[in-house]
Amino acid sequence: MAAFFVWLEGTRMAIAVRDSLMLTGALSAVHLVGFTLTTGGALVANLNLLGLLFPDRPPLEVTRPASRGIALGLTISALTGVLLFAPRATVASVNGIFQMKMLLLVAAVLFHSLVHQRVARTATSSSMRRGTGAVGLVLWVGLALAGCAYILLE
Amino acid sequence: MTLHQLFEWLEATPLGVMVRESAWGFPILVAFHIMGIMLSVGTLVWFDLRLLGVSMTGVRASLMYRRLMPWMFTGFAVMFITGFMLLAGFATNAYGNVYFRIKIIAMMLAAVNALFYHRLTERRIVHWDDSPGPPTAARMAGLVSISVWMTVIVAGRMMSYTMF
Repeated sequence: MAAFFVWLEGTRMAIAVRDSLMLTGALSAVHLVGFTLTTGGALVANLNLLGLLFPDRPPLEVTRPASRGIALGLTISALTGVLLFAPRATVASVNGIFQMKMLLLVAAVLFHSLVHQRVARTATSSSMRRGTGAVGLVLWVGLALAGCAYILLE
Repeated sequence: MTLHQLFEWLEATPLGVMVRESAWGFPILVAFHIMGIMLSVGTLVWFDLRLLGVSMTGVRASLMYRRLMPWMFTGFAVMFITGFMLLAGFATNAYGNVYFRIKIIAMMLAAVNALFYHRLTERRIVHWDDSPGPPTAARMAGLVSISVWMTVIVAGRMMSYTMF
């Protein structure tokens, strides 16, 4: 894996990003747009399950469009994220905060796809919905905080 | 007092000095600022998409606004307070920065767009509240809102790379 990160850092793409502060800034800006769409969708979907937003609507009516927003935001963030990661792959890959961010990203996406959507689809108890909303919210907000921490403390 | 002098004064206030010199003040403020964006623009986008007739068209537009409003306004309050504190710390750097100017102009456009929507377009909402396809004026309000807030986010992030 370490050899792959060394190779990634030497690619023309990584060098182009590393050599241009404006390109890095533009990628980071678009990464933040993706973050806003992702976390906005995640907030709407999880606050709904918690009964704090649109409690009178069927959960699926909220979760379905919110999931599309999350998917669009994640696509934007992932594409720009890879380009931002490439020039600093060897350093970032061993950074504890970055590792935490990636771990929370995988956990949040898996939880949303495997648990949240199933709970929203099937008419389960309100305690099950609230519990799912709470766990989802913790994962997505944790991911957002880890992202902030990585930008500021790396 | 010119605007530049006002910014110099702001930077010299105890608030400006604290933000600039505190080891943790800056990262904590930026983190809250970004979380504020998540809460404000992250939820506002869903109302804009409803105005555009793109998403959650089964929910009345007025209900959508009422339900999202507390989250949006909490986020905007966090974003504006932390944004003002960050500006106080680095006011003179921001003054000459082109992305700061773009950000301020975009925020003014967002305010005018919101005012125009609430004062004019929303007055006839009874005619289209339930409709999955709102009228052109409402769609324009949604489109302008998404465009200017995305511009605010992009310009704000670019400031970090061009100011220091």
